[in-house]
Amino acid sequence: MNESVLMLTVVAAIGLGTPLIFATIGEIITERAGILNLGVQGMMLVGAVAGFWATFTTESLALGVIVAVAAGAAFSVIHAFTSITLRVSQIVSGLALTIFGIGLASFLGQVGSDPLVGNPSKKVFEPILTGGIADWPIVGPLIFGHDILVYVSWLVAFGASYYLFHTRMGLSLRAVGEDPASSESAGVNVSRVRYIHVIVGGALAGLGGAYFSLALVPTWQDDPIGAAGWIAIALVILASWRPGRAVFAAYLFGAAERIQFTLQTLGEPWSSIPSTLLAMLPFVLAIIAMIVLTSGKRARYLGAPAALGIPYFREQR
Amino acid sequence: MANRRFIVEPRGLASWRLRVLVPVLSVVAALVVGGIFLALTGENPFEVYGQMVDSAFGSTRGISETLISATPLILTGVAAAVAFKMLVWNIGGEGQFIMGAIFAAGFAIWLGDGAPAFIALPVVILAGGLGGAVWASIAAIPRVYLGTNEIITTLMLNFIALALMNFLIFGSSSPWRDPEVSTFPQGRPIPDAARLPEFFNRLDVGIFIAIALAIVAWFLIGKTGWGFAVRIVGDSADSARYAGIGVPQKILGIFLMSGAYAGFAGGLFVSGPVGALDPRSLDLGLGFTGIIVAALAGLHLLVVIPVAILMGALNNAGPALQSIGVPTATVSMLQGAILIFAVAGEFFIANRIRRPDPDPVPELEEVAA
Repeated sequence: MNESVLMLTVVAAIGLGTPLIFATIGEIITERAGILNLGVQGMMLVGAVAGFWATFTTESLALGVIVAVAAGAAFSVIHAFTSITLRVSQIVSGLALTIFGIGLASFLGQVGSDPLVGNPSKKVFEPILTGGIADWPIVGPLIFGHDILVYVSWLVAFGASYYLFHTRMGLSLRAVGEDPASSESAGVNVSRVRYIHVIVGGALAGLGGAYFSLALVPTWQDDPIGAAGWIAIALVILASWRPGRAVFAAYLFGAAERIQFTLQTLGEPWSSIPSTLLAMLPFVLAIIAMIVLTSGKRARYLGAPAALGIPYFREQR
Repeated sequence: MANRRFIVEPRGLASWRLRVLVPVLSVVAALVVGGIFLALTGENPFEVYGQMVDSAFGSTRGISETLISATPLILTGVAAAVAFKMLVWNIGGEGQFIMGAIFAAGFAIWLGDGAPAFIALPVVILAGGLGGAVWASIAAIPRVYLGTNEIITTLMLNFIALALMNFLIFGSSSPWRDPEVSTFPQGRPIPDAARLPEFFNRLDVGIFIAIALAIVAWFLIGKTGWGFAVRIVGDSADSARYAGIGVPQKILGIFLMSGAYAGFAGGLFVSGPVGALDPRSLDLGLGFTGIIVAALAGLHLLVVIPVAILMGALNNAGPALQSIGVPTATVSMLQGAILIFAVAGEFFIANRIRRPDPDPVPELEEVAA
């Protein structure tokens, strides 16, 4: 039963969905503060290259993760500064962050006398909790035998959910995203809250990037993360800005990415569908979800932060 | 507020000097940051920049290659600029560019060798625009009639277009694929009649078509009644509605125009330097670079032209850097940095920073001065 096509697909979807969980929850936290950051793809790439480099130099996965998180966080400060302090268009600033991140990650991978590009990672995240328990029917492969970052992603989802809905700081965060002016009157420092949560979003995106370079595709190449950063931005809406739902949305898209391998194992006629066509599936899925979810009156019930994307001018109050 | 060191306040219309100065300084700042990165990684920034200028402008061949690279960027730059000006966030230039290329190559192959150039060329270029507009409409129609967020839909359409191009060449025996090459699949060469004539090394007349199309866009937006209505919608949808302007139709029109311009770029690229639907030559991020061009040009449709030439020069310098052992990605890093600084520079165009007024100045002095 654990070897059935469905099971194998679901297990693979968990792996492919994990970086999406990190990035999506990061973006949820950022957007809850009212800041739209389209730089996820760039932050993930910077995290991916930084984490890969750190593990490559030190042969330590822990350091790789720490450096990736720090790099993602540091890189997101650019967007925080332009969108919160300078109050320029968040859309253009986020795009700029992505375009810069793509170039920077690629540059850092190619530069130097002994460039990273083409090198396999010196250490890779391996499954833990393997052995007997991982063979239990259904529950075994679903819960056990993943690498440690999968469990970290569950903790992040749980922690983010608790933080957002059950803590005082989470309440201020949501208030800032809904109505910054009133929050300011209530004594919340809007700029500080926004800065912190843009940076937290960057840190999680960096972690998501490192999951690619240290677990999923542990050989450095120019573009190791595909479209994960962009998908994460769509998943935020699909998850209606709730971390718990982000986990399931991420696994759904993980499964969509996996579908070509699944169909191959099913034999004819499924295996004859060209993989180039199946590559469209996650994106088609995202567009349909977007049209269904964000159209017309339905959008109001989704729960988008009311002040999302709107610069906050304290002086003009 | 009294003890603040600086006061930031919105300014009305920025002077033209400032609007030239800010982008120029963005480029300089990006070069400085890029130089620091280069120096930290053991390269000599002056040597690298010298090599870039030399390869882009140092020879007639360099200049012609720069203009070849600039041609699609003029059009993807216009595509981004017209949309962003109206707050239509079409991030799908990439996909519309590819779809333009697919349509252009498709029509060229369908026309075959029989059609004379004076028919084939216009058909192919217009087909490119049509392809771009059709692809944009998939995001534009839900945006206008259902209120669907176009940022994500246009983005996703980029990846679908890319997958479609790969399918046509690598995943099927479509008419776009060259039937004579079986080892590594590639695009079928389009008929010679559908190729733009070259006049200066490899440079073809596409550069003039691109410049002409940019001027047409500037005229349409800046000088016609339709453009006037569109600009009102861009400034304030509410006042446009109040003035009786059909807002949805105007937004749809701009969205499709933006898509068509990205598609034109794909069409000119196929009928110009590439000559086939070739995924390796077309997947260069020209749609995204168009966003950089538009932002650096301050969304001005004519300024897009020189800025596109600058970005074309940068793109063109990439391969030359490789010959001196510097990564080609230096170029994309620099372009990204330029965009970051150009975006930050918007702040200085939109706002004035000044010292707080000192103690009230006696009026007499002011009169005397």
